[in-house]
Amino acid sequence: MSSPVIELQGLSHRYDTDLVLRNIDLTIDAGEIFGFLGHNGAGKTTAINILTTLIEPTSGAAKVCGYDVVTERRDVTRCIGYLPAEVRMYGHMTAAENLEFFAKLSGVNEPRKAVTETLDYLDCADLADERVGSFSTGMRQRIGIAQAIVHRPKVLFLDEPTSGLDPLGVRQLRQTILRLNGDLGMTVFMNTHQLSEVSKVCTTIGVLNHGELIYKDSIEETTRRFPNEASLEDIYVRMEDATT
Amino acid sequence: MSDSTQRIVTLARHEYRSAVRSKILIVLLGILVAVTAVSVYIASVDYASKLADYQAYVDAAKASGLDRIAPSPLAALSLLRGAFEYLEIIGAVIAIALGYLTVSRERSNRTLPLIRSRPVTSGELATGSLLGALGVIATLVGVTAIVGVIGVGIIGHDWINATQALQLLLAYLASIIYMGAFYCLGAIATAQSRVAANGLMIALGIWLIVVLVLPQIGDTMDADNQIPGGLFKALGLGHDGEVQILTHFTTYERIRTWTEEASLAKHFERFTFAMSDVKERYRPFSLPRLLGQTRNDIGWLIAYAGILYAGLRRTFRLQPTIPQGGTP
Amino acid sequence: MIATIATHQVLSLRRQRVFLAMLATLLTMTALAGVLGWSSHQTIVRVYDEAVKLLASTGQPAPPNPFLLKPALSLLSNMVVYIPLIGALLALIAGHLSIVDDETNGTGRLVFSRQISRTSYLLGKIASAAIVLATVLAASLAVSVAALLVVNRTIASGDLGRLVMFYGLSWLYLMVFALIGMVTVLMTRRRSIALLSAMGTWLVITFVIPQFTSGLRPTQSLNPITDPASTSQTFFKVTSKFRPYSIVEQYKQASGRILHTAPAESFGHTVQRVLPIAGLAAVLVLLTIRLVQRHDFSRSANSE
Repeated sequence: MSSPVIELQGLSHRYDTDLVLRNIDLTIDAGEIFGFLGHNGAGKTTAINILTTLIEPTSGAAKVCGYDVVTERRDVTRCIGYLPAEVRMYGHMTAAENLEFFAKLSGVNEPRKAVTETLDYLDCADLADERVGSFSTGMRQRIGIAQAIVHRPKVLFLDEPTSGLDPLGVRQLRQTILRLNGDLGMTVFMNTHQLSEVSKVCTTIGVLNHGELIYKDSIEETTRRFPNEASLEDIYVRMEDATT
Repeated sequence: MSDSTQRIVTLARHEYRSAVRSKILIVLLGILVAVTAVSVYIASVDYASKLADYQAYVDAAKASGLDRIAPSPLAALSLLRGAFEYLEIIGAVIAIALGYLTVSRERSNRTLPLIRSRPVTSGELATGSLLGALGVIATLVGVTAIVGVIGVGIIGHDWINATQALQLLLAYLASIIYMGAFYCLGAIATAQSRVAANGLMIALGIWLIVVLVLPQIGDTMDADNQIPGGLFKALGLGHDGEVQILTHFTTYERIRTWTEEASLAKHFERFTFAMSDVKERYRPFSLPRLLGQTRNDIGWLIAYAGILYAGLRRTFRLQPTIPQGGTP
Repeated sequence: MIATIATHQVLSLRRQRVFLAMLATLLTMTALAGVLGWSSHQTIVRVYDEAVKLLASTGQPAPPNPFLLKPALSLLSNMVVYIPLIGALLALIAGHLSIVDDETNGTGRLVFSRQISRTSYLLGKIASAAIVLATVLAASLAVSVAALLVVNRTIASGDLGRLVMFYGLSWLYLMVFALIGMVTVLMTRRRSIALLSAMGTWLVITFVIPQFTSGLRPTQSLNPITDPASTSQTFFKVTSKFRPYSIVEQYKQASGRILHTAPAESFGHTVQRVLPIAGLAAVLVLLTIRLVQRHDFSRSANSE
């Protein structure tokens, strides 16, 4: 059995008077591709912000790669990569310059070499010397993934990675995630609304409803548990309905 | 009311309401009113003491039976000089901010397609926005005017008469036109920029040149300002000698004048200073004569405002309704 | 990490057109200050020649040449006005851009999900602003020296030293505004409010405070050297005590003493004028460090 690489224990978070995460207990093992589902405003992005050390939880604890996200923040950041929703990068700099900057911040020893290798791996070496400001959404997304993996993290956090992508872009993203998981053994934690992609990519899903984790299990077990539902979308809608 | 006018009025009301909800704008307005009040207070306290001295002279002169009493050298309206300077400088920044907010608000809310997918022409949009902004500007100018007049009356102990009131009204109307021009500049610069905040910076850069740098260059080029205390005084020359020598500097003076003429702010300043008795040589003039003396400045003010309004209409006409990438 | 942040930010500013436009404006104005200085020299020479002729025609003796009354560096006296105007705006923009892009582009989330502390991040940004402003002022210094050489044909080493001191003081003054540009971004969530707040602060420092402390009207503040309004009002008896903290007035007074375009005073007295500027810069550094610790870079960008 794989060791847990992400652990949440009684995790809660409040923005002013809004309790957006309520006492979440969640464990994700190494090598999993975890799909985090939930309605808009459920608290998915807040969860990712806590796990990527951008904000501290109001109460409870979270660990990534065995390190506490609050007290061992630096150790956490060494082992994670993060692609937020709607990130634009530095538009007036080239893709290579953007990546080199982030590689250096991640402490990569030979940043230029790492950048070249990463761009080659993602089949976007031709974008290296182009300014990011001129990129389409799909191209920007690929560079966004590149910056998230340039330092070869153990865990990859993706927040709505398919947002704004065309079907080809979605397929390319899916293939990339599967490769990163298969080739490099990366654990992937992904917020998404694209249920069709979740069923093709993820090994495990969790469902967040108004800050509460109402479900977590493998895709296989989920499909077995809801035999009458035709698709993951139907299962998800049924879960949401059950809580209202 | 025709449909077009109805739409313009609706847009104007929308602009006015949106502007007065902007916290930063309210803060800037507050700063302007506060510094106007202080400026008038400082000038009025000094004025009150000078007025008291003059009154004492008049009383003493009458008591000793003198017929010919020297007229008061004081001019109550000139106490508003600082207020007009603040309108010239800070008022223009507020107007630019208004123009910027007009465009950036619709862009960031992505409401421009919702407006333009209705029977609203770009001309109506430009005119409605400008009218709404002029409403905000008029409110601001009105408040500073009230603060100024009351300050002069209560602290300076000298209430303005009907003629002075008319002069002031014209000066404040000019303030509205002046600030309206800068509103158009702010809106144009913002609409033309891919990143709205960059447009704001460009407009502020133009403001810097037009309002501060060009007039300062004009002052610097003034021959008499070359030496502290006056160049002609240092040479032992009086006014006649100065005039005689300056006849050899017509080209130089022309360049200096053109530099100043290029500044909208300089025209505004000249007009408002003439109307508010700041320039002593204008004080004996009647209002029609004052207007005649300043017709060049009035013309430039209206021309600049007209050109910028036309530019605003054109910009809105050419502005893409759907943002093409970039930052709203 | 600090060096990484600083070099990245310097490169970023070099690519931003609005910043380059402001830089070009400052350098143009420096050259213009030189041209105006040359024009001033020519005007005085010509007026003097005409005055000698005029006075000779009436049998009066020739007056002393007033150009001899002007110190050599007076050619650049307008820089004392352009630095607080254009230079300060440039510095505000540099400070503003150095942090606002990380907020509105969402790249702050990418930066802080890496092992860089908030303090290191901020020190890198401050270092980049310091480097950029130093480079800009060095360019302006070069243009000033060129202007002096063209007009005066020579520059004394003492004058060169004074010029370097003036630009050093200007760098310190501009750093205050770069820090103000950063503070306003860290205190607000919207780009536009940050910029307008920074502008408002600049307006208050440059025009409003001198009104309170010295009775100077806004257009009087555009002159290189101004004496406080002589008034015995009780109001000024109180507010004039704060004049040492009016950094724009202290900057202009200190600059005038350095360039010898104002009445001389002891070096110690000039240094005293600089202390409030340095003090404010130090306070702003501490404030930005505190603000960046608490700033939430995690929320989605609100670009306006």
